[in-house]
Amino acid sequence: MSDTLGVLLLGFAGLGPDQDHQQDMYLPAFSTHDGFEVVAVAGDDAAGRTTAERLAGKLGLPAPAADLATALADPAVDVVSVCVSPERRADAVIAALRAGKHVLADKPLALTAADAARVAAVAAETGLVCLPAHHQRFHPMIGAARGAVAAGKVGLPWNVQADFLVAGGTPSPAGELANFAVYPIDVVLALTGQRVRRVFARLSTHWSDGGADDHALLFLDHDNGLTSTISVGRTRELADTPPAGLALHRYRVSGSHGVLDIDASRPAVVLRRAEASSHTWHGAGTVDRLLDELRAAIAAGRPSAPSAADAVHIAEIVDAARTSAASGTPVELSQEGSR
Amino acid sequence: MARHSVIEDTPPPGVLIVGAGFIADHHGAALRATPRARLAGIVDVDAGRASAAATAAGGVAWSTDLGEALARPDVDAVIVCTPNMTHEPIALQVAAAGKHLLMEKPLTITVPSARAVVEAFDAAGTVVMAAHTHRFYDYGRAVDDAIAGGAIGRPVFARLAMLGGWIWPDWRAWVLDPAKSGGHALHNGVHLLDLVSWWLRDEPVSVYARGRKRTAEELRIHDYLEMHVEYAGGASAVCEMSRGHRPSTIDRRDVLVAGTDGVLQLPAEGWGSPLVTESGASLLPPQAANGFAVQLDAWLDAIADPAAERAMTPADAVRAVALGVATELSIERAEPVTLDEVMGGVLA
Repeated sequence: MSDTLGVLLLGFAGLGPDQDHQQDMYLPAFSTHDGFEVVAVAGDDAAGRTTAERLAGKLGLPAPAADLATALADPAVDVVSVCVSPERRADAVIAALRAGKHVLADKPLALTAADAARVAAVAAETGLVCLPAHHQRFHPMIGAARGAVAAGKVGLPWNVQADFLVAGGTPSPAGELANFAVYPIDVVLALTGQRVRRVFARLSTHWSDGGADDHALLFLDHDNGLTSTISVGRTRELADTPPAGLALHRYRVSGSHGVLDIDASRPAVVLRRAEASSHTWHGAGTVDRLLDELRAAIAAGRPSAPSAADAVHIAEIVDAARTSAASGTPVELSQEGSR
Repeated sequence: MARHSVIEDTPPPGVLIVGAGFIADHHGAALRATPRARLAGIVDVDAGRASAAATAAGGVAWSTDLGEALARPDVDAVIVCTPNMTHEPIALQVAAAGKHLLMEKPLTITVPSARAVVEAFDAAGTVVMAAHTHRFYDYGRAVDDAIAGGAIGRPVFARLAMLGGWIWPDWRAWVLDPAKSGGHALHNGVHLLDLVSWWLRDEPVSVYARGRKRTAEELRIHDYLEMHVEYAGGASAVCEMSRGHRPSTIDRRDVLVAGTDGVLQLPAEGWGSPLVTESGASLLPPQAANGFAVQLDAWLDAIADPAAERAMTPADAVRAVALGVATELSIERAEPVTLDEVMGGVLA
């Protein structure tokens, strides 16, 4: 393996018509990362192929392969960045793994826990890296907090309170539970390392005109008596938050010997001018750090953190939240788990 | 604000304080500071405590016999600061004596008794108000003012956290006995449950709560409460009340209210001036109105004009009790509990 890994950008879809994390997030991050080079693009449907052709021209890459199997057979490709439509995503990730490629998978890895589990099984069997793009855990405030909590700085954690509120942007037609909840759930799991055993949830529609949920409240019971509460959603636009930016992103970890408050709107240089105030900072972003983890896991031949198995557990929690919100009662998760 | 409608040479109402514990000191200080009422006496089951408090208050009358004190013609109203399980019988006694009542929260520790108290005051034609003092603090009013002014549109989600460490006495403290206090949800939880319900301007329909026994597993009350309330109009709230946080010096209030048109926050670190000294870091709180004094004014307004709009209605007090009862029941069952169930199928 050379120092630089060849990347195939596969698919340009997301949850909703204008979500394209491939071009908005992963392409820029791969392009600036020393460990990767985008060597090919491909789509797995008509829209994806059209985008791929245009992008290949723009990036000076060879014409996209006519079909998925051909694209995945390219020996120059080490890593596949998978952003195909969510309903075909699990199958595309499995095909890439079967073709011997490592995978960066847009979130959600799959629409159901069962589909995510199929992916995780193939990832485990092939020994290849399958990294779900839960990039918020790589925020510098959260990264430092993970280390502090793991080192016992607050003693034994017993409660986490989380707020993940995005302002503006296009509401996800799939609902914000499906769209956003994976991020704060992943952060809570990364902070504490405690699996979830029981879920009570409430879904509301406060801000969007469509019928999809735009606010979810998740009440989670974890191993070792840890409880967590996650508020996640999308409000209308706010003057001091860029469209689709995070208006509130914070976690409070209460432990037997202390409390840690994590405000992911920091560190920040605050800019106040005639128009609404804004924030800025320097340094690698969360997606850049996600790619650092992808590169490191591939180099070490170890599963990534988060792993496909982590995505399965998150999908179980999201599934249970949907069931709980519909029934109005808490839902128990299976004891054996999926690790 | 409505002023008392009595003619000028009528003496201000005489107020009896029942129960001479620490919270009585706050009410007493508010009474001493207002020209609108006067402290008429102190009643406590413990003669030593009653006489000491009476002496400290400038030598007012004291008694261990509530009936005798209530019979005095110069007693017009009563502030009750006794343990929670005594609230119902004392309130009924005050109503029967035809006096007005400011009852320390909770009004009572069961919904039927709360209803009975409100009915007794309705029948007597006198005022009963529960002392949900946080409605009268600057921060509670600032949040309410902003919402009332339409700053965030219709409020749809509220978070309110009051986090502290252990402040109670030892195992013998009545608050630690659920039969006497009603549990932590009735004792302190009602503060938050009332405040968010007031802010959200919506009627609660169900509660899902989780309780923890952080300080000792042998506790019979939950020193940490997390209370999720759902409202009829679609709003929701998450309230946290803690006396189980460590380090015990922690003192935290955190407010977030999201509305249809904006977000309101009172961040935990926005409360005062950070003070760092040789003995550590703390927050110097700003000068603020005395919530007990503002509350006393609101109560005296109601006494002066019972027909005027009240800052805190009897129905609000019953609702707070119902929310507290639903919280305790939800923790016990580990499931959501409807207000309909604890209200006996009838909404107040």
